[in-house]
Amino acid sequence: MAQHRASGPPTPSGATQHTEEHATTTGLSHRKLLMWLFLGSDCLFFGTLIATYMVYRGQSLVGPYPVDIIDVPITTISTFVLLCSSFAMVQALAATNRDDQRGIKIWLLATAFLGAIFIAFQVYEFNEFRAHGLHIGTNLFGSTFFTLTGFHGAHVTLGIIWLLGLAWVSRSGRLNPSTAEDVELAGLYWHFVDIVWIVIFTLVYLIGGFDSGPVAEAASAIPSALGLVA
Amino acid sequence: MSTVPEQHDSRHPTFKQYVTIAIILFAITIVEFLIILPTDWRGQGWTIAPLVILSGLKFAIVIMFYMHLKFDAPMFTVVFLAGLALSFAVGVAVIGLFDVFTPSPRAYAAERAQPYEGYHPPEDKPASVATAPAVAPTVAAPSGSQELPPTVAAVIQTGSGSAGGGDAEAGAAVFTGKGQCFTCHTLEGVEGASGILGPPLDGIGTAGATRKAGLSAEAYILESINDPDVFIVEGCMTGANTPCAPGVMAPIVGAAGLTDGDIADVVAFLLTKH
Repeated sequence: MAQHRASGPPTPSGATQHTEEHATTTGLSHRKLLMWLFLGSDCLFFGTLIATYMVYRGQSLVGPYPVDIIDVPITTISTFVLLCSSFAMVQALAATNRDDQRGIKIWLLATAFLGAIFIAFQVYEFNEFRAHGLHIGTNLFGSTFFTLTGFHGAHVTLGIIWLLGLAWVSRSGRLNPSTAEDVELAGLYWHFVDIVWIVIFTLVYLIGGFDSGPVAEAASAIPSALGLVA
Repeated sequence: MSTVPEQHDSRHPTFKQYVTIAIILFAITIVEFLIILPTDWRGQGWTIAPLVILSGLKFAIVIMFYMHLKFDAPMFTVVFLAGLALSFAVGVAVIGLFDVFTPSPRAYAAERAQPYEGYHPPEDKPASVATAPAVAPTVAAPSGSQELPPTVAAVIQTGSGSAGGGDAEAGAAVFTGKGQCFTCHTLEGVEGASGILGPPLDGIGTAGATRKAGLSAEAYILESINDPDVFIVEGCMTGANTPCAPGVMAPIVGAAGLTDGDIADVVAFLLTKH
């Protein structure tokens, strides 16, 4: 629906003002609309990965299970780091809008640095899991967990590269109020990665992080076992 | 509609407002963490609703303020929420389908488990998936994948040996804690030991010596923990009054992740039960 509206018949005013550099039929920046469309589609990408994780939740037949290895306090810290990076990102955009060249560089690099710390936490976590015997092929938990959080980590990594690229071009003063959209688009992507983590953190760590193995399942099977012999 | 990109900068939040938003986001995360801090609350069903609501709140705050949707053209909100809603619908549909058809996920998985091609079951062990007892289908996992520790193998061969001088007191803690033994075995004098999926363990410290020719009580208990399916005493009945079946205990013990020291402690503890 939204796409149709965006690419619908040009309005009379739009048709007559194509000489204007940024003139669009919707009056909205095409780049920004495209970015939001991409983020909408990325919702589907992560939505399927999260749904897959939830579907296979509790189906692992061999350990390690989430309760054995998921470290919620450590991940809460890395979640804080990612939230901080989102704050730094809005400051980078604000600095661009007021043409604060030093602020642009500082906040962009701060955002990238905080993102890198988040990735460092993830590398540590993956290594810990591996040390506890959880590989991507060990059980359904490992397969779905590493696929979901791995793709999220890849998104963060891409965002870091993007931010570093912006920081690089900002050396020549190319980032200023007239090109603020360049920073805004990177910011939209970065905040999106943050909100995806908000969802993953809640579902995989806070809710699913205490899932146990067949021992607890056996305990819960006792009532039905009683029913069989009664 | 205007034909040039609209400038919304004047309506962007100020630095102070951004700081306030960041503090709110931090506060919500702290509340989420506090919800799962008490051990009793972890993984409880009732925590799901507040956690989902709080994370939804964070999600909304970030897209409204950090991503400016509150101040920007409605078209962006429509485009994004359309994708989000579709994603949510697909997720709910998929999870719902699996929930409806597989009310007990682990039993479903256990029934359909295929041997991993890199896995070769020892010939003297029963194929546990095929012989899984009806009483406990949820624990019918492929077993026997762990090789016996050398010390256990030695005990089984020689018919004697020691579990390494375990600590009975520590063993009691493993029995009701990490080992979760009490979820399947009854044992007099142990609070909460009311499980009926396995045989009662009363008097095992004495009876253990009579179970298998050539094995002391200590060696027998050690073997029964490390490799429960090697020998099941004739006429063994579970607390549910069904015959003891192979393939039930091994995956549970394997999942508990007990060290040799833990097992030695449990053996020492059980040896005190006469």
